[in-house]
Amino acid sequence: MTDSLRRDPRSEWIARNRLHPLHASMQPLEASWVGLSGLIRKNPHALGFAGPNGLKRIDRSGAQQGGSRQRARVDAAVQLPLHIIEQPAFHIVVVPDMIGGRLSSHDKDLFGLANTLAGSEGAVVAVVFGEHKESAFDTAGIDRLLHISSEAVAGYSPEQRVMMLRAVDAQLAPRHWLIPDSRTGGGELGRRLAAKLGERPATRVWQMADGQCVGRAGGGQQDLVRRAPRLILAAAECADPVGDTRHEVRAIELEDVLVHGAARLDNRGAVAVDPALTPMAEAEFILSGGNGVRDWDLFHQAARELGATEGASRVAVDDGFMPRDRQVGATGTWVTARVYLAVGISGAVQHLQGIATCDKVVAINQDAGCDMVKRADLAVIGDSTAILQALIDRVDALRQGGIRDAA
Amino acid sequence: MPHNLLNVITLVSVGAHPVTGRARRAEQDARAVELGLRLAGKELQLLHAGDPQVEALRAYLGMGLAEMTVLQQPPRADVVPALGDYLRDAGAQLVLTGSQAEVGEGSGMLPYLLAEQLDWPLVVGLVEVESVTEGVAQVLQALPRGQRRRLQVRLPFVASVDNAAPEARQSAFGPARRGQLRPQDVAVVEDMLLEEARLQPARPRPKRLKVIKAKTGAERMKAATAKASAGGQVLTDMTPEQGAEAIVTLLRDEKVLR
Amino acid sequence: MLDTLLPILMFCALALMLLGAWRRVSLWRQGRPSPVSLMRGLAAMPRRYLVDLHRVVERDTYMSRTHVATAGGFVLAALLAIIVHGFGLHHRLLGFALLGATVLMFCGALFVAKRRRNPPARLSKGPWDRLPKSLLMFSVSFFVVTLPVAGILPGDVGGWGLALLLSAGVAWGIAEMFFGMTWGGPMKHAFAGALHLAWHRRAERFGGGRSTGLKALDLEAPDAPLGVEKPTDFTWNQLLGFDACVQCGKCEAACPAFAAGQPLNPKKLIQDMVIGLAGGNDADFAGSPYPGVPLGEHSGGPHQPIVNLQGKGLVDADTLWSCTTCRACVEECPMMIEHVDAIVDMRRHLTLEQGATPNKGAEVLDNLIATDNPGGFNPGGRLNWAADLNLPLMSEKKQADVLFWVGDGAFDMRNQRTLRAFVKVLKAAGVDFAVLGQEERDSGDVARRLGDEATFQRLARRNIASLAQYRFDRIVTCDPHSFHVLKNEYGALGGNYQVLHHSTYMDELIADKRLTLGQHKGGSVTYHDPCYLGRYNGEYEAPRSVLKAIGIEVKEMERSGFRSRCCGGGGGAPITDIPGKQRIPDMRMNDIKETGAELVAVGCPQCTAMFEGVVEPRPHVKDIAELVADALVDAPAPATQKPVARPDVLEVH
Repeated sequence: MTDSLRRDPRSEWIARNRLHPLHASMQPLEASWVGLSGLIRKNPHALGFAGPNGLKRIDRSGAQQGGSRQRARVDAAVQLPLHIIEQPAFHIVVVPDMIGGRLSSHDKDLFGLANTLAGSEGAVVAVVFGEHKESAFDTAGIDRLLHISSEAVAGYSPEQRVMMLRAVDAQLAPRHWLIPDSRTGGGELGRRLAAKLGERPATRVWQMADGQCVGRAGGGQQDLVRRAPRLILAAAECADPVGDTRHEVRAIELEDVLVHGAARLDNRGAVAVDPALTPMAEAEFILSGGNGVRDWDLFHQAARELGATEGASRVAVDDGFMPRDRQVGATGTWVTARVYLAVGISGAVQHLQGIATCDKVVAINQDAGCDMVKRADLAVIGDSTAILQALIDRVDALRQGGIRDAA
Repeated sequence: MPHNLLNVITLVSVGAHPVTGRARRAEQDARAVELGLRLAGKELQLLHAGDPQVEALRAYLGMGLAEMTVLQQPPRADVVPALGDYLRDAGAQLVLTGSQAEVGEGSGMLPYLLAEQLDWPLVVGLVEVESVTEGVAQVLQALPRGQRRRLQVRLPFVASVDNAAPEARQSAFGPARRGQLRPQDVAVVEDMLLEEARLQPARPRPKRLKVIKAKTGAERMKAATAKASAGGQVLTDMTPEQGAEAIVTLLRDEKVLR
Repeated sequence: MLDTLLPILMFCALALMLLGAWRRVSLWRQGRPSPVSLMRGLAAMPRRYLVDLHRVVERDTYMSRTHVATAGGFVLAALLAIIVHGFGLHHRLLGFALLGATVLMFCGALFVAKRRRNPPARLSKGPWDRLPKSLLMFSVSFFVVTLPVAGILPGDVGGWGLALLLSAGVAWGIAEMFFGMTWGGPMKHAFAGALHLAWHRRAERFGGGRSTGLKALDLEAPDAPLGVEKPTDFTWNQLLGFDACVQCGKCEAACPAFAAGQPLNPKKLIQDMVIGLAGGNDADFAGSPYPGVPLGEHSGGPHQPIVNLQGKGLVDADTLWSCTTCRACVEECPMMIEHVDAIVDMRRHLTLEQGATPNKGAEVLDNLIATDNPGGFNPGGRLNWAADLNLPLMSEKKQADVLFWVGDGAFDMRNQRTLRAFVKVLKAAGVDFAVLGQEERDSGDVARRLGDEATFQRLARRNIASLAQYRFDRIVTCDPHSFHVLKNEYGALGGNYQVLHHSTYMDELIADKRLTLGQHKGGSVTYHDPCYLGRYNGEYEAPRSVLKAIGIEVKEMERSGFRSRCCGGGGGAPITDIPGKQRIPDMRMNDIKETGAELVAVGCPQCTAMFEGVVEPRPHVKDIAELVADALVDAPAPATQKPVARPDVLEVH
């Protein structure tokens, strides 16, 4: 790549000086790697360790893995200060989304906001429903954890959860409720709670300061500036997450667990959605074919195998290989996929416009100079048919392996 | 078709085009009308609270409906009580709304408040009513990324519709011109929010910078010299298997390979 | 015996013919009123037939001469036969005249028969294959029957046998020629065609004129139908026009959509309208069907919807949306039938009443309503392409010689190159020009052709209001679609302007020696005539003369000039995007490749976009303005600087 190499005399000096305390952390991770020219490079310094007399020792028995042990020691040295609130003056309650049982980045932003609201007096309370896999509640900034693992709130159960939260409201009388304004649950839960509590929430809040909060209004063309109400539905990146303190995550209990009234929404579970039928604008993973695809049967097979939604360039559609509603681009559908895998698409301007919001673009193409390769985060240059076949085989093997592992 | 027996009311509002801000039919409300048309056909009732003189309302009639009831409300009124009173006596089995208004506060609270006021269940993100048997509807709810969840809910209920719902049909000039807007005088409750809050043109949100919290000089150095991202990797001269391996690695990192 | 039989036969046939004519007329009268002068039309009819129509027919000399002989012979023979045999005026001279007429007709009919022996695919079969036999039978029978009148043969030759044979022949002949003329036989074209010419909806087309702008809908009248839902929603003279079709298939051969395998055949469409007029189904249609649509499944009647969106009507909606409005069919039609008007009328109903504009149509129309451009771009960015050009704005200048109409190409990065090139040319010539900037809106071309007359009129009225604020001599635009709409379609809404296409204007600048041009460097060049410049507005010469001025000898395509094949970009066709077997721009690009040219010069942003959408390798695509701008030679300082240019002009005078 074109990055210029910069010499850093100090780091070079540290790298030479095995006695320097930072020597280990300056070492490259690998003992061997593919260099800039494509040759395999080896770093003998990465192996071994400095002996007691300062001489380098390499233990070829394999018992010792020099670099990694030392680095681990450096990491472990970071111990953030613990923030303790013994008698909170008030509570700030956050109900994180917990997508996949973990705190999402959106959740962490909210805890950051909660901590600024709590200051040194208040306590940040997290209300977590159901099972979770999160182990870093402390560094996220949670002083009190209210874990409600009752059977009633498992899965999609907004009505029961609102009942629970109403009980929390009665028990803690929080100064603020903070709930992520997300499509993954928080937006709905927060509004249900607002309606139940009779609170008028501030929604889509993206900035809070001095008791004022700013949220998007209407279709996003305007901001609504208002005094911060008790219930706040905040957007992602509304504040910086907590980074330099640890919190005690002291467990608290809900005193009065009384869920009354039968649920009126009966959850019948997720519906299997065929990725091929997913609207392209919503699809998470798109396999898109263009002029460079020679074997369309193989392409369809690859899409099935990968579980990807199919897309196409204009040319592929014009030539009749794909239906018109599968066309990606400014003149077709604007897509928002997390991964966009473009096979044999050279990348006309309109097409690149249509995939502008995709997170990761992977290109398979014969021509290393085409615009799609320039746009791509990963480009594999070669024959699309062979690579698609290899991809199918690889995923197949992976699936087989997965079954064996599970057995 | 059991759907034909369904008595559906769709609440509609005046929207604003995202680029020019011109009044138009609101995107989500139009989808709610589309869903209503599929469930109730021409029997679908439209309800708007606001000014019956607004021409943009006719765009909903242009979808093939003969009339719309308009509860007359001034611009700064709280329309929830008026709508709630109307709906309580309207005999609707299903009330459809958009998720969020395109002008004004746009808090998206309306369906929640109506459901609370009527004490009806609320389905958020309705995309399809699969069946209605003995007063229980089986519906599909939209989840992010095209996923769906099946719910059962007893009629009557309120449902909000988001952008995952079926796309609204075209609004035609002829029916829009012929359709009738039927105003009704109802009580007005003033909304106090704008007493203390103010609307202003949206400020672009600052992009979050990558903050480096480093304790030692060495860490700062490492952070400063490390490349921002691994993007733009081009693999040439490799076997298809190696290429496939690299792609699979990325797909697994992104967790799209299930 | 023949003397008694013939008059009976002839007057019966004539009576039936009149009855048929009355029935046919009442069918036409189901249509809506149309403001044409009946008497003046009839008076103008012979001239329209002999001059204007003949000019079109003359393109095919074989058919032209054949038709003159056959039709001339028949008209003469029929008139004389009525006098001689009908009224029994057995004058010898008349007899000879009748003989001559039948011989003429016979010769013509022989050529008709010859054409039918190995007919091109565009010709209809069925009754039309019978016609030459009927013509021969008519002429031969009357020839033989007339021989005694001329005194060549005695009256009683051949006896009963021959007399019976002859009466049978005469009966066949007059059945086809008289009775069939008004009861729906092939000869209907003569009867309906003559009246169609007399009461044509666009009288301006005769006498060398041109009338190509679509007719405005009256949106103020609450009960006027919005477009055509059922056949009776056409005006009566449109219905009459459909009946005039001779099924020659010239339109079919010229239609780009038909060639691309899209479900449209202009000839079949007109015949379907005839079916709709009288009621019935299309099983008996004897020509090529719509590609991919079998015969016999569609039917209709005068009061039934033409398009049935839920099932099968008379015509499928896809047929109507396949049309690129390129007007090749209208240009070729020897009966001067207006296919495009009919298609747009039916589209209007689909869009304005049904809300059924297919594919991206609805989105484009919504964009036009909300953002004044089909792409949904922020109208505030309309002048972004010229941010560094310092273009004079009308709102500041208030008046200018030339108003440069930029068009929606302002939002398209490819077209911006053309626009910048043209601005360079304007500046080099020292033209006093200005643009409307953000006051400009889409001309309404696409909206109108997608059938959304309401949006068209809204855009047009607002554009007219903007234009009314300023003083300018002429409007110049690089977009033939805007050019056509501004020039020919704003008039009905009160906007009358002198509008020029940029090629015409550059031709003028070159003729006035206001541009210093070098020679075009690079390979051979062909030129593609945009439909909306050529067929719609008759401008074929100016672009070629501009190209000639920069030293380009155009390698003409086989289909160029008025026969130019559409690029597929007109009439909203890329938006409605009806699938076919191949793409229209690919076919046109093949035409271009056949000339061996390395570059194709175009004068339309749509054509540019369509051609550049063809997969490479292919010839390069450049707008005329780009070619001229490239050939500009930096004149010794004065030419570009206005204050200095003025004294120069003074010196010349």
